[in-house]
Order: sequence, then C-alpha cells, then structure tokens
Amino acid sequence: MATNGNIVSIRNLSKVYAQGDIQVTALDNISLDIAAGEFLTLMGPSGSGKSTLLHILAGIDRPTSGECHVQGVDVTKLNESQLADWRNQNVGFVFQTFNLLPVLTAYENVELPLLLTRLNRSQRRRQVEIALGLVGLADRMKHLPKQLSGGQEQRVAIARALVTDPQLIVADEPTGNLDSHSAQEVLGVLQSLSKEAGKTVIMVTHDPKAAAFGSRTIHLEKGELSK
Amino acid sequence: MTIGTFILKNALRNKRRATLSILSVAVSLFLLVLLLVALREITLPVEGAGAELRVAVRNKISIANLLPAKQLPIIEKIPGVEAVTPFTWFGGKYRGEENMSFAQFALDPKRVRGVFTELKMPAEDYAKMEQQRDACIIGKITADKYKLKVGDKMTLESTVYPVTMDFTIVGIYSGTPDDRNMLFRQDYLDESVPSTKGMVGMWWLKVKSAQDMPKVISAIDKAFENTSAEVRAESERAFQLGFISMWGNIKLLVGLICSAVIFTLLLVSASTMSMAIRERFRELAILKAIGYRRRELFVFILAESFGLAAAGALLGVGGAYVLFTYNDVGKLTNGMFPSFEVTPRIVATGVLVAAVLGIVASIMPAISVAKMSVTEGLKTLD
Amino acid sequence: MQLNPFVIVIGLFLLAFAGYLLWLIYAVATSPIPLPYNFKSVFVRWRSTAATILGVALVVTVFILLHAMAAGLQRSSANTGDPRNIMIVRKGSTAESSSVVMREQFKMIQYLPQIARDAKGNPLISADIVVIINLPRRDGSGEANVTMRGVTPMGMALRPQVKLVRGRWFVPGKREAVVSMKMAKRFADTDVGQKFRTGGKDLTVVGWFDGNDSAFDSEMWMDADEARSIFDRDNYCSLLARLANTNAAAAFIDRVESDKRMALRGDFETKYYAEQTSTATPIKFLGSFLAVAMSIGAVFAAMNTMYASVGARTREIGTLRVLGFRRRVILASFNLEGAILAGIGGAIGCALALLAQWLCLAFGVHFGTLSIATFSEVIFQFRVTPALLVEGMIFAMVVGVIGSFLPAIRAARLPVISALKAV
Repeated sequence: MATNGNIVSIRNLSKVYAQGDIQVTALDNISLDIAAGEFLTLMGPSGSGKSTLLHILAGIDRPTSGECHVQGVDVTKLNESQLADWRNQNVGFVFQTFNLLPVLTAYENVELPLLLTRLNRSQRRRQVEIALGLVGLADRMKHLPKQLSGGQEQRVAIARALVTDPQLIVADEPTGNLDSHSAQEVLGVLQSLSKEAGKTVIMVTHDPKAAAFGSRTIHLEKGELSK
Repeated sequence: MTIGTFILKNALRNKRRATLSILSVAVSLFLLVLLLVALREITLPVEGAGAELRVAVRNKISIANLLPAKQLPIIEKIPGVEAVTPFTWFGGKYRGEENMSFAQFALDPKRVRGVFTELKMPAEDYAKMEQQRDACIIGKITADKYKLKVGDKMTLESTVYPVTMDFTIVGIYSGTPDDRNMLFRQDYLDESVPSTKGMVGMWWLKVKSAQDMPKVISAIDKAFENTSAEVRAESERAFQLGFISMWGNIKLLVGLICSAVIFTLLLVSASTMSMAIRERFRELAILKAIGYRRRELFVFILAESFGLAAAGALLGVGGAYVLFTYNDVGKLTNGMFPSFEVTPRIVATGVLVAAVLGIVASIMPAISVAKMSVTEGLKTLD
Repeated sequence: MQLNPFVIVIGLFLLAFAGYLLWLIYAVATSPIPLPYNFKSVFVRWRSTAATILGVALVVTVFILLHAMAAGLQRSSANTGDPRNIMIVRKGSTAESSSVVMREQFKMIQYLPQIARDAKGNPLISADIVVIINLPRRDGSGEANVTMRGVTPMGMALRPQVKLVRGRWFVPGKREAVVSMKMAKRFADTDVGQKFRTGGKDLTVVGWFDGNDSAFDSEMWMDADEARSIFDRDNYCSLLARLANTNAAAAFIDRVESDKRMALRGDFETKYYAEQTSTATPIKFLGSFLAVAMSIGAVFAAMNTMYASVGARTREIGTLRVLGFRRRVILASFNLEGAILAGIGGAIGCALALLAQWLCLAFGVHFGTLSIATFSEVIFQFRVTPALLVEGMIFAMVVGVIGSFLPAIRAARLPVISALKAV
C-alpha cells in the first residue's frame, strides 16, 4: 500500500453490468496511478467508461473486480456506511447538473457536508466562508440556487466540494451545462485548486478545450485506456 | 400500436402510482356507497308483504302511553276492518345484556295471523301458543343467535313493567322483514302485572282493501275522540316514517359526511392525476412537435383520468355491490341492518361521482397543456 | 374493557407504532439533516401536497366532529343534577317515564330522617310525573317524542340549575307549561304565549327556561297534579330528595331500597343521569369507523404524493448520499416530512372542527335526536374537547407516517449512482 506520491492507485479494475439480457463491459482491466496535485482529465466518446471510472474512484460505484486505493485506503473493500463516511471526508464531487438543493441557500448548500462532522456552528461558519471565498461568491451566501446563474451555481457546488477539505476533487462534465464564459471561470477555479491549493482534481470531459486546463489527459475507449 | 394502447401504456407506465390512484378512488367510492346504502336503509321504512293493508293505532299523546283493551270491540265493528290484535311492547332484558338486540311484544295469538299475514310458521305452533299460557314464538334470527329451539325456556326482565317473566318457546317464525322479535300472550302479561291489566300498548289491524284504509283511519280517530284515550291511526308506512323522523338530524349528518368524502376524494385524486400529467410534459411537448393537436392531447389526458376513475369505480362500487349483495349483512351486523340493498340508483350515483372525478382531474392538466409552448415543454427536465 | 382480539391487535399496532415513532424522533433529533430542510421542502411543493393536506384535514374534521357530538350528548347527561339530591325510581326501569313510585311509598319516604327540611320544617322532597308526549317539529319534518315533566314547586326548588329566561313560571290549575328554550326552537307552537295540544287539552306556554347544558334542556315542565289528571296517572314516576347531609346517602338509599312490596332504586341524582350514555355509543362507533375508512383513502393519497415527491427529488437524494448522508437518515427525513404534511393537515382539521363548533354556538344551532335512554328527544351540541383535538392530531400523524413509510424506504434505497443520472 505504498503511495510514493501517488494519491490514487488503480489495479486491474473491471466493471461489468447487465443491461436487460446483455452483459456490458464498462471498464476492462484498467490500471492507473494518479499523483497528488495533478489535474487529470479523462476523455473519451460516450460509453467509453470514463464516468464509470470516476464514480468508482469517488466511492459512489463498485467495480466487479480489481482494486482502487485512494490515499492508502482500498475503497472497493469498504461497506456502504464506511464508504459514506469516507466520501464525506475525502472526496468532493462536482456534478454536471450542479445538484444544489433548491430549498437551501448557497450558504446552507455549502454547509451540508459539514453537518456530518463534529464541528460546531461557528466552526462550520468559518469553513463555509473560506470555501465560498475561494470561489469568489462570498457576497451571494443568502441566495437560493434559482437566484444564481449557471456559472455561479457550479461555483457554489465547487465550494461545497471543498468545504471538508478533501484531497480529491472529482468533477463529472462540470462545464457541460454552462456557456463558454462561465465554463472558463469554473475551469479556472479548478485549475487554481490544483496548482495553488495542491488538491488532486480528476475531471471527466468530452471537450478538448476544457481538457487543456488539465496537467494530464487520459483517453478511454470501450472501457480501456488508450494513449 | 393504436391510440388506445398508447393511452393504456401511458397510464400504466408508473404502475405503482396508477395502483395507488385506483385504490384511493376505490376506497372512497366504496365508503360512499356504504354510507348511501346505510342512510337509505335507516330512512326507508321496512315493508313486509301485506304492509300496504296494515294500520297502526296508538295513543294520541305518544306511543309510550297505553290504550284501554275495551277499545277492541269498537275497532272490530268498524266497516273495512278485517282483523285486529293488541301489540304491547315489553321492553325486556335477556341474560342481563345491556343493549338488547331483539324486542318483545304481547299480543293475541288467535288474531295475529289475520293481521301479520306474512308470518311463516307451522300451523300447530300457533295452536300451541293458543293453548299454553306462557308460550312465546321467536324470530329465526334471534333463535339462531342465541341457539334457541322449540321447548327452550326464556326469562326476561322488563324495563317498563315491574316484572320478570318466564316463557316457553313453542315456535320459530320467519318471513317478516325483521325476524328478530319475540311474541307472547297479552293475557299472560295481564296476569303477571295486575296494575296495568286491561291496558295494551297499541293496536295493529288489517283492512279489507286499500280503498278502505282512509275511511278506517278517520273512523278510528273519530271513534275515540274526546275519550280519556284518544288515538292516532295511521298506515304502517306513516307509522314507520314517524319513527324515522325521530332520529332527527342524523340524515343531515350522514349527508354532510358523504359530501366530505366526495370532496376529499375529488381533491386528492385530481391532484394525483395532475401530478402524473405534469411529469410527462416533455412527452406531450414532443407529441405536439410531431403534429398532434391540442384537441387530441386533451383526449389523451381525459382518457387516462377517466380510465383510472373507471377502474376505481369498478373496484369500489362493484366491490361494494358484490360484498353487500352476496353477504348476509343482517347476520354480520347482528340484525341491525336486516337488509342492505345496493340499489341501481346508488350504483349510478357512485359511477356518476367517478365520472365527474375523471373530468375534474383532467381539467388542470388540460389547461396546462393548452398553455404550454413546445419549446418550453422540451426544455423541461423534471 | 373486554379483551377481544380486535382490541389486542389495535393495542399491538399502537405499541409498534409508538416504538417506531420514538425511533423516528431519535433519528431526526440526532440527524444531521436540519429540520428546516424538511419544512421548506414540504412548503416548496405545497401545490402538489395541498390536496393531500386537505384530505387529511377533512378526515380529522369528520373524526373530531362525530366524537364531539357523542361528547356533547354525554355532557348533557353528565352535567345534570344537584350533588345533594337523591333520585328514586322503580328498580329495573331505565327511563323515568316507565318508572312507577306508589303514593304510599312517597308518603312513607318523605318522613325519613335523612331528608333535609326547609325553614318551615317541610321535607325537601318532590314527586314527579314524567310522560312522553308526541309533538310536531317546527320545520314540519314530522313529529318527535318529548319528555314532559309534571313537577311541584318543591321539585323546581330542588333543581337550581334550571333558570327562567323568558316569561314566567306556570301557575297550577291554569293549563300552563314552561318549555326549555332549546326545545322551543325545535318544536312548533312553543313560543311564549302559544298553545299546543296534548292529552286532549291545550296547554299554554307561559315561559322558557334554560337547563344550563343539562338533560333538563330536553324537557318541558308543567304542574304535577295537572299532569296526573290530564294523563290519567294515579302514581308518580320518580322522587327527588335533598339530603340534609350527603354522608347519610348510603343509609337513606338502603332504607328506600328495602321496601318489599315494590322494589325501588335510589342513587345520587348526578350519577343517575350520568349513566344515561347509551345514545352516544353508536355515534362514537360511527365516528371511529368513518375516520378509519376515510383515512385508508388518505393513506393511499399520502403515499402517492410522497412517491411523487421522492421521484422529483431523486437527484437531491442522490446528492445527499454522495455527500455522505446515510440511508437511515434519509428514511427518517422523508418519513418525517410525511408526518409534517399530515400534521399540517391535522392542525387544519382541528381548526375546521373548532370553527364548526363556534359557528353552531354563535348561531345557536343545536342538534336533536332520539335518546335511547328516555325514548324522547335529546338536545345536544358539538363539544370539541382538548382530548379530541389531541386524538385528531395523533390520527393525522399515524396517517402521515404510514403513508410516507414506503416512499421513504424507496428514497433511502435509491442507489447513489442512478440518482445522479436522473433527468
């Protein structure tokens, strides 16, 4: 379980699932190392398994076989409850559709992951303010998602992903629903998280211009790595 | 695929929702039918065969007051009267029960058959009643309930007379609309309660023909006018309606509850069906884009909500009909409802409510569909 | 209380429900999901949930109002009589009108030492005649039995809760009667000054009285001797005696009941009336039955609403799971929402019931029906007790928790991933 600077170590990861009568191979024996502080982009056509790989990394899906070590922990061996706790502390997830809870304000949305920790109210407040500050939305704390633009929503989502200070930030097509200006903003934030804050960012995208923001790009096709 | 199957597939796409909608409609319609039938039974006088020719004569003050037995010969002589019997409520308690399930009446055994012609019992049993002083006959429902047979003894403590009396069962009758009562001899009562000897509860008589009834009624009223025991004679139907009107506000009450049930039903089901439609806005937009007109979309919506309502009606109204028609409700409710008829009218009411529901439930979705523009609908991701 | 299987099943169910509710409360209290989230979610979707809330409200209203009618009936019985009085009737009779107390018995009893005496040394005891008469209703809907009490001046004095509100008391020998104000509103020809006919004679109504929410509100009164003559009664129906000292009650009753010739029964007047509750029973039964039946429909509706809610918020639920919230917490959260929903409905239902009661009071509307105990009309009104309001709320909560249970389970069991892909 030596990490030697690699925050993620994947060995022989496969995912096969049944769709009706057909067996679909989403991932086929993938092995991969990701170093700490990298901004890695996963690219590939639809159905290539890039999202599946991301989900397994982030602990929201399980492989059929293989191992995935994140910061020394084999996430494939954790049970449901352990995985939930692990996600809370170690991963920040950014979705294509933002996934903010519409009835909560920006502040409350960002605060959500902290409610699972032992921090008290004022400690939580500190963390939320820092996170929102990092994405430049400190002045929009009391706004509801419907009062924010797409780009602002996504930035709030990034703040939420950051608030428990995880090592890993995982983003699934984060700019898919944004206009190019907002997309640029968001990608810039992700980049600075990697370069300046030293976070490891793993992003799935089909857009080469977005991929250009990353430090390394990996291509997947039909469940396999191609270079 | 036809339009029909398309609609069907849509309706059943979310089987759980369709089931729950149908069930909630069915339960509410079942309840509605139950209430309507119960209300009708309570407010409709029970009529046995021969009821059209019977007249009830009671003390004008109220039925709780007694009448002198010497009125009998006077009544008998009135033209048009075929048979008369005294009929006195005993108000007895059996086996110490708090809420009695059957009533007891004292009467004249020689005369009862002439008045209550629908009483079915072997002729020898009538003879036994005429011979034996403490004889009594009981209705089949009560006999079954307490497992009594001919020859058994019964002891009853009266709540209106200061006596407890013993009786011997000599016969079991049936054929009346209320086969629960116990009937015994007036003279036995007179012997046991000397203080009210010579007094009876009321008179029941049978007239010779329907035309005779109005004459007989006014003759009887007149015959005892200005005596110490004035009477009120009325047809059996009027007599029973009189009892019913004593229930007072009950009819209003049940009516209000029925309204509450219907209203709740409409509200809830309409909202559920609207929810279903709203979820499918995108599809409706696609259909519109393909070329279906608003009119046709309305038909889809209406057909679906009608279908759900109809299924609910079948289950609820149909279920109630089958349940109450093929089950002896009299037995189940201990004789409280000797009959529980789901009339065609009640069935029609239930179906009508379901139909209205089908229409109302489709109004809001139809309006939304009418207002919707195709591009809006296609953008709807929820 | 009989322990028939029905009661046992209900008991077990309530126990299990209480246990689950406790767990739910615990889960929510320790839950990281803030309560405002659930509240806000319910309110944001108020349009789709409005119908369910209203449905629950109506079920609760029906439940409360029917039980309130029964409570109203029981109240007029429970509220009747003076605690110092002893009522004497024939043993075995259930209604005063069918009770007979002989004149000789009265003569003997009135000299018993336990009876209080007035300033002149007269025993405070009265003998009443109670007759059931049939009178036409004011609204022409038919006739009904009415309790007519023939009472002496002493009988009136022994019943201080009855007060004259209009006109005057009757004068013996003049064929006059006084009528309960609430009865007068329901029966024809009973305004002060009008005459009604019974027993072959016309009686003039000279006054109205208020029985103060007691059984006397359902009576009409006239002079006892006149009643005896009009209705042809030799004997009395009941005796009412004021004890000099309520501790002497047992001794007095013993003495009264020891009469060998004609068995009599003595009891505190308040207790005698309080036991006449049999009319309320079928109404209570009807109330419970209807509420349960309607709530089955409400449960289905609540289920439907909640399923739709879960369906619409699939992405939200998935997000919460991704962020680390456990399934248990999600289950408790959604079940709580269902309870909140139903709780709002219950509160509205209670409010509606209270409104109905207030409206009846404000407009002086009373209800009447046939009393099984007296075989004559009994007047009553809605009586929404605090206990009924609590019961109504509990009812609503049960519907809410049960109705949202399955949808909550579904929410909790959504796999994290498919929740993300929902469109």
